[in-house]
Amino acid sequence: MDISEFGRFSDPAVLILTSLAGGEKHGYAMMEDIRATAGVRMGPGTLYGALSRLEQSGLIESLPADERRRPYRLTAWGVTFLRQYLASLEKFVSLSLKRLEA
Amino acid sequence: MISGKVRSWLVRLYPRAWRERYAAEFDALLDECLRSPLDVVDVMLGAMDAHLQLLNGDNVNWRIMNRINKLRTTILVVFAAYIGFIVAGFSLVGLADDSPMIPLMKTAPALAAAWTTIQMAAAVALLAVVIGGLPLALTVIRRALASSRHALGLLLVPVFAFLALVLYVGFVYLVGSGRIQVPGVLPVVQPGYFPPGNRLMLAGLMLVFVLGAIASTLAVWKAVSGTDVEQETFRAVGRTLSVKIYTFAFVPAVITSLSMLVMLLATLAWGWLAFSILPQVFAGDFGPWGTSTRVWYFGIVALMSVCTLAAFFGLARNRSARTTV
Repeated sequence: MDISEFGRFSDPAVLILTSLAGGEKHGYAMMEDIRATAGVRMGPGTLYGALSRLEQSGLIESLPADERRRPYRLTAWGVTFLRQYLASLEKFVSLSLKRLEA
Repeated sequence: MISGKVRSWLVRLYPRAWRERYAAEFDALLDECLRSPLDVVDVMLGAMDAHLQLLNGDNVNWRIMNRINKLRTTILVVFAAYIGFIVAGFSLVGLADDSPMIPLMKTAPALAAAWTTIQMAAAVALLAVVIGGLPLALTVIRRALASSRHALGLLLVPVFAFLALVLYVGFVYLVGSGRIQVPGVLPVVQPGYFPPGNRLMLAGLMLVFVLGAIASTLAVWKAVSGTDVEQETFRAVGRTLSVKIYTFAFVPAVITSLSMLVMLLATLAWGWLAFSILPQVFAGDFGPWGTSTRVWYFGIVALMSVCTLAAFFGLARNRSARTTV
């Protein structure tokens, strides 16, 4: 699987996965966490568009609902996927930085 | 802050299948974060995207829905087969009640054993249906109360059908005890003479029972079909339980189907024993309205066989849906 498969939800998907890497969260907690860590204000429609795709892909899973809020967490496959994606991103970042320094 | 009505309208923009899965939590999120017109536009775009996703048949979404559809249909097939079997079972009881077979069972232990087997298997099947159907029934009722008056109306059909049957039986009891006089109907009939009025009243009872069973089955089928959910969370005795309702119903469905098979075999054994001991019973007319015992008995066995086959067909399809999807 490639992150580009999430289309216009690629960036939100990465933000959600990164947010959930810090522990299980429900929708509103994810929005607040993403705003605090990445400075991005994600709309509710965008959040759930990406969230449903991530769940369908098996990268995240839902937990029993607490009242009406339902928390989500990364699956083992989600952890592997995020780790691989960030590693490839890291390579790309270091290559870009090297080119800038040259 | 955006009003609750707008929020509710926005959630309704999403496809039904999506809402069944996410509506409650999405509504809770909107309650907390829906503040600006930009958020409204974002939700509208999200709804459009969800519709496009369904139209495109994007990967897992359709697979999950197909899986739910197959699992649900197969469980409903077993349920409908069970209801059909009940109709046959009650017909058998009615046939035996009006014949010399009941007194015969007191003197023929093998015949009594076959009858007891039918009763015990019926109790096991009923218990399995109640246990297997409980999470499903609670889910459908919960969803109906939360979002669908139509589904709630459908769920009332079995209740009204049962009430109609109780009322009719009460009416028959009052006529039989002589408290109500109906022209052309005798409170107590003599063997060999069944007046047309009594026949009509009996036909009414069978009609209320059979039509009630058919209407209830169709209504429950429709109500359950409108609930696209595979897993539901229940709270009981301070604990939260997450139940995959159709997977949970599989084992009870197997027990129900096996019980139906046992009842069918016991009915065949019971008929064969009764015929061996008292052949003239099958030559007589102990069926409803004084009709042929033989015709009714073989009709009952045929209905039981069809229902049992349908139940096992449902089980096989369920197993195939669970292993191949």
